[in-house]
Amino acid sequence: MNFKHKYFFLFPGLFVLIGILIFPIIFVVRLSLSGWNSYNPGLDFIGIENYIRLFTDDPRFWESFFRLSFLSVTTVILQYVIGFALAHMVWKDIKFKRFFRVLFLVPMMTTPVIMTVIWRTFFHESLGPVNDILSNFGLSPKWLTDPALAKFTVIIVEVWQWTPFMFLLLLAGLLSLPKEPFLAAAIDGASPVRKFIYVTFPLMAPISIGAIIIRLIEASKIMDTVYVLTSGGPGTSTETSSFYIFIKGLREFQMGYAASMSFTYLIIMIISLTIIAKVLTKLLLKE
Amino acid sequence: MNLIANNLTYKPSEEYHLNEVSFNFKEGNLYTILGRTLSGKTTLLKTIAGLLTPDSGAIEFDGKDFLKVPVWQRNVAMVYQQFINYPHLNVFENIAFPLRQRKIDNEEIKNKVMESLKSVGLVGYENRKIQELSGGQQQRVSLARSLVKNAKILLLDEPLVNLDYKLREQLREEFKSLFSKGLADETILIYSTTDPRETMELNGEVIVLDEGKVLQVGPAKEIFENPSSLKVAEISNDPPMNIIEAEISNEQIRFEGIEIKAPNHLSKLTDSGLKIGLRSSDIELSENGHEFEVELAEISGSETLLHLKRGTIKIIISIEEVLNFKIHDKIKIDFKIDRAYAFGANGKLASSPFGENNG
Repeated sequence: MNFKHKYFFLFPGLFVLIGILIFPIIFVVRLSLSGWNSYNPGLDFIGIENYIRLFTDDPRFWESFFRLSFLSVTTVILQYVIGFALAHMVWKDIKFKRFFRVLFLVPMMTTPVIMTVIWRTFFHESLGPVNDILSNFGLSPKWLTDPALAKFTVIIVEVWQWTPFMFLLLLAGLLSLPKEPFLAAAIDGASPVRKFIYVTFPLMAPISIGAIIIRLIEASKIMDTVYVLTSGGPGTSTETSSFYIFIKGLREFQMGYAASMSFTYLIIMIISLTIIAKVLTKLLLKE
Repeated sequence: MNLIANNLTYKPSEEYHLNEVSFNFKEGNLYTILGRTLSGKTTLLKTIAGLLTPDSGAIEFDGKDFLKVPVWQRNVAMVYQQFINYPHLNVFENIAFPLRQRKIDNEEIKNKVMESLKSVGLVGYENRKIQELSGGQQQRVSLARSLVKNAKILLLDEPLVNLDYKLREQLREEFKSLFSKGLADETILIYSTTDPRETMELNGEVIVLDEGKVLQVGPAKEIFENPSSLKVAEISNDPPMNIIEAEISNEQIRFEGIEIKAPNHLSKLTDSGLKIGLRSSDIELSENGHEFEVELAEISGSETLLHLKRGTIKIIISIEEVLNFKIHDKIKIDFKIDRAYAFGANGKLASSPFGENNG
């Protein structure tokens, strides 16, 4: 049988796909080969000049990239550990289980930008309540203006905002686990701790990998927190890739150069996430 | 090392799951818990394993208060009616799991697991995934896992119930040979089942359980020959024993217009409200017998089960032959009355054909 018209039915989906994915990517590649900036707007062709500049003459991009890697890996690990602990806690029969399940999701329901504004006020060096309390002990850390501490503050806010998402995924995973292996493990002589290590954790491995990858993708886009909290400062000490690309592209209007950075960033992300997924699978599933 | 229970009671809701259950299990023996579904068998095994805490009562093992010992330190093994294994581990690791919880070196674990695999006939399957095995094989894995740790108490909760007929027969044979090889002289083996035939074949000490209460304790033969009450007679026979309300006078048993000469062990009974108990296999087709009407005929295996009716009496007879009957057929049957039991109005055994008069 030969249904020629089946292609007709593929068309709407294909049209959307081309419109929102394929065309933008091709356009970015083309843009990255142009010198489009505010003095010289337009798609001229300058070859791989932008890429040469990026790889030889822009340490700020690479710094922001490694900073981003550090921030996203740290926050995701913290989110995973805390999220797993909370999920495990309300998975067991504890009092007010339902209350806690909802409570732990509250941060996810808030608007990140607004929450970050509140956090900024919170950590304000002279007006914020945190330092107000700490001053009683003779401390006044510079939460937002000390380069190392500012990174720490970004991590706190990110973890607070996104742990609930991890919690939700992991709780759903825990609730879907079969009960029987836990019965068997108890009888087979596994103490609660060993039961967690040898049964709960391995059974959760596939879900954990999924949750970590999803969060890594999300976390590597980190932008709003940095924008509102520190604007990348002090100096460039909390600047992340997306924030730097944003500055180059939409503030300094170096469209061509920003496009080359975006495209490079995309390739690196695809490669590194693939490797991370493979490594996690190998580590957790032992396959 | 004895396992002693005293007045175990567990009543999570309106109904008793365990009602003052007491027993004294001795090492090296096989105990069969016989009871219908929901009679409290699983609850009892779970209580022994430590998965449930009874509302009251005590369990003592090796002179120690067993209820104070957490599950993972009790050194019990359990096989469930559902095939419970670890889905994330292969067959080898599944069986090795209990050993890995102790400090045993790898070489020894390997030897023990291979030995255990051999005893359940699964050599060559060690690297398979659990999901790739059939139900029977999965149950063998959990059996191997329970054997490998050399537990002092081995609990088997209706291990054959979810298997198909063929496998059940086969595994039951294997169980018997495993048990008779003397698992370990100090193991207490507790096997729960709903199947009277299984109980008789395993031939251990039987505890008849109903609605959480122990009805009778004794060797399988004793339960079969002298069921202490109507309830026990019902539970320990499949199909259940036929119970007929009858009257005995002048050495004659009378019911529903039938008059049979009472055998010696029944002739002296004079109580009113007597009930006569006859196994389905102790009633046979006979040309000059009593007429009954066929209500239902079912063929199971090489047996025919006939549900018969006469007036208000309904009985089931089994014939070791495949025969075809139609509903409402009239057939003639005879009672092997010398095999009949008599139960008093209170449901207790009044007289048994096997001599011992419990009445």
